[in-house]
Amino acid sequence: MATEQMLPETLRTMIGLPDSVLGQAIAAFIAAFLVGNVMLAYTGVAGPWAKRKITAAFTDRIAVDRIGPFGLLIIVADAVRLLAKELIIPENADRPAYDLAPVVVAGSAMLGFAVIPMGGLGPLNIQLADPESGLVYVFAVASIATLGLTMAGYASSNKYSMLGALRAIAQNVAYEIPLVLTGASVVLFTQSLQMSEIVAVQQQTLVTVAGFSIPSWFAFVNPFAFALFMIANLAEVGRNPFDIPEAPTEIVAGYQTEYSSVYFVLIYLGEFLHIFLGGAIIATLFLGGAAGPGPESIGFLWFTAKIWGVFLFTQWARSAVPRVRIDQLIEIGWKGMLVLSFANLLLTALLVGVIA
Amino acid sequence: MQRQHHSTADRLLDEAVTALPDDAIVGRESHETAPAVVVRADSVQTALSALRSTVGLDHCSCVTAQEYPDRFETIYHLTSYDDRSRELSVVVPTKHDGPVSESAASVYRTAEWHEREAYDLLGIEYEDHPDLRRILLPETWQGHPLRADYDQDRPQIVPLKAHANPLQEDHRGGGTDTMFLNIGPHHPSTHGVMHLKVTLDGEQVVDVDPDVGYIHRCEEQMCQRGTYRHQIMPYPDRWDWGGAGLLNEWAYARTIETLADIEVPEYAQVIRTMSAELSRILSHFLFTAMYALDVSGEFTAAFMWGFWDRERVQDILEELTGQRLMFNYFRVGGVAWDVPEPRDEFFEMVRAFTDDLPHRLDEYHSLLTNNETFQLRCVDTGELPPAVAKQHGATGPVARGSGVDYDVRRDDPYGYYDRLDWDVVTEDDCDNFARVLVRLQEIEESAAIVEQCVDLLQDWPEDERTCQANVPRTLKPTGECYRAVEGAKGELGIYIRADGTETPARFKIRGPSFSNLSALPAMAEGEYVADLVATLGSLDTIMGEVDR
Repeated sequence: MATEQMLPETLRTMIGLPDSVLGQAIAAFIAAFLVGNVMLAYTGVAGPWAKRKITAAFTDRIAVDRIGPFGLLIIVADAVRLLAKELIIPENADRPAYDLAPVVVAGSAMLGFAVIPMGGLGPLNIQLADPESGLVYVFAVASIATLGLTMAGYASSNKYSMLGALRAIAQNVAYEIPLVLTGASVVLFTQSLQMSEIVAVQQQTLVTVAGFSIPSWFAFVNPFAFALFMIANLAEVGRNPFDIPEAPTEIVAGYQTEYSSVYFVLIYLGEFLHIFLGGAIIATLFLGGAAGPGPESIGFLWFTAKIWGVFLFTQWARSAVPRVRIDQLIEIGWKGMLVLSFANLLLTALLVGVIA
Repeated sequence: MQRQHHSTADRLLDEAVTALPDDAIVGRESHETAPAVVVRADSVQTALSALRSTVGLDHCSCVTAQEYPDRFETIYHLTSYDDRSRELSVVVPTKHDGPVSESAASVYRTAEWHEREAYDLLGIEYEDHPDLRRILLPETWQGHPLRADYDQDRPQIVPLKAHANPLQEDHRGGGTDTMFLNIGPHHPSTHGVMHLKVTLDGEQVVDVDPDVGYIHRCEEQMCQRGTYRHQIMPYPDRWDWGGAGLLNEWAYARTIETLADIEVPEYAQVIRTMSAELSRILSHFLFTAMYALDVSGEFTAAFMWGFWDRERVQDILEELTGQRLMFNYFRVGGVAWDVPEPRDEFFEMVRAFTDDLPHRLDEYHSLLTNNETFQLRCVDTGELPPAVAKQHGATGPVARGSGVDYDVRRDDPYGYYDRLDWDVVTEDDCDNFARVLVRLQEIEESAAIVEQCVDLLQDWPEDERTCQANVPRTLKPTGECYRAVEGAKGELGIYIRADGTETPARFKIRGPSFSNLSALPAMAEGEYVADLVATLGSLDTIMGEVDR
């Protein structure tokens, strides 16, 4: 069982709010506000700046370097630019659904961060809640995004959007199952769905090589599951070779074709938040959560490094790998990934059965 | 040489006359390079199918239509994929009032689009044509603009009905389970302004109908108003903004030089050959970059690398011509000026590029052609069997990717090509992947040509470096001539009818992309939308020469 105090509780005692329902609610709100903003800040850095810099490095050129140090003020400039644009809503758009879709896409990813253990930062333990069903919860809320994409595609009243939405559904159905099954193979080891527990199990030493002890991160224990999960995650967040729901050059921009201005920003934020959420799940399940050399009070930095590492991986794939076709994607999902993830699950079950 | 050519032409003409039914032939004409038989307007199909099957003229390179004071005329420029030197023009005159001519579309599929163009611009009706609609101008256009009596001040109202309501129920030609989708005119992968009317069944393409003409700029008419000597040469650059401008200039230069009997100095021919091949490299790199984009989406590494390598070639051409896109470097009878001083520095610059090229191409191969995902997308998609390719008049890398061994540079030599050591690249797989491979290998071959030219130029005796022949200030040739060069996209032909004035009476451009694009429906129907885009990309169409 995790013994550490959750962030809202720590904040409540720090601020001195009473231990009432209201006090807890206020503390929880403040904590969620802080964590949410940190994630949004990452996204803000990733979208307008880091993504450009990384892609430029991969493609042998220079990107944003004019505005501010290292071009960092492009983030401000882009925010102003995007928000200042006219919000164009198609005449035949299905209104409440059209307006809600961007919120659902962005919001579903934000919800996921509620249970992620992000490690310590100074005296704080950054985790908003630690329910026993943490892993199930995070998979569940992350897949709400598909609903948002469907709404966006259907409500836009545009054929390209519709094609994009259909593709998104087909893709998410095909890849969510391998994703969850591979996640389940980790649960077989930990015998717990609680996120903090999953992280705690990975702190034990796997082997000691020449004085260095290698922790039993599941990426080391079961690299096969790790690889499967990384690939399924690429499909889940819709990056090459699985970026077919958007597929610019084929269906223009898929479900987001008709979105402009602040709605576009929300959808884009949602996409990047999903990449980071995917990174957070990978870090928690396979990379020992916030573990790393140094004191526990800098754990959050390690966590940040890990989710940015996963982000880097998605950008690498985006720059270098061509996109597969919809039927090939479905085939890889149902005939390849699904079979492999079942095999992985059975193998893990056998191993756990034999060892334990 | 000239004499021998004429005797082959005479033999071909005899052969043709024997093959044709007697009552079909009305007379003979003499065109430069290709003899002409005049055929009755109601026996076009029998005449052409006889020529196709008996004489072996399986390539309908171009169809030109034009107006005379007393008649309209359609000319079918025929040749053979196996022997480009066998060229024959089939002239079909029709009466001036209500011109009607039999369609050749059942003999050569490529004639379908060419005849639509003739109908559009000149109003010649083609009997038995499967789909006689306007092609370059909107369907609602009034009048035929190349006619002498065309009133250009007449106001035109041009609504685009297809876009009136893009969401209305529209399931053309496939029951209620299909969806009609407009791809373009503004779409990320139409590479210019093109409109594909697509009917989809789920993700699969049931029907494609390319709608071209959005950037029709009256290039042919503009050339008809320019004087031969100076005013036409800048136009060909504008048919291709992908870097192939010099190749296009050569098409005009070759035609007018044949027509006006101008001998180009050898030194100028070497410079032309070198710069034209650099131009081809520019175009093929652009293809590679854009194709990576079509298949991968967004800004991928291969896309940016393509632009890096183009940049180096553009620097070289900028040094040579003073321009990066609209070179305007060729002149009637040669080139504008010699290579820049200091010569050795320029040659060093070219060599630095060609020496580095194999290494650069390896990178493309490892990023694209050796990539399994790329192969998954391109192998066995967009198949174009050689017979279909020939029917549609496909040329250039598109035909060579289908194993059709046809290259004007070798088969109808011009410039300095016949004295250099290089190969025509063909691939037999007929798919998108084959076309990519052909172009990547052609970059290598072009570089080999450039290297040999640099060697020749460097050793050329200083007092024999003549860049231009002595051409009169005004050219007033007479006669008719259809001449082609191997452009970046295929056979780029130009037909000129010269009537003894300073300007052409008819100037017809055969853009290779026009014919290549007409094969798209045959290649893409039944495939997925994603493959439609990949197939369109593999044709490397440039709308400048499709719409002209």
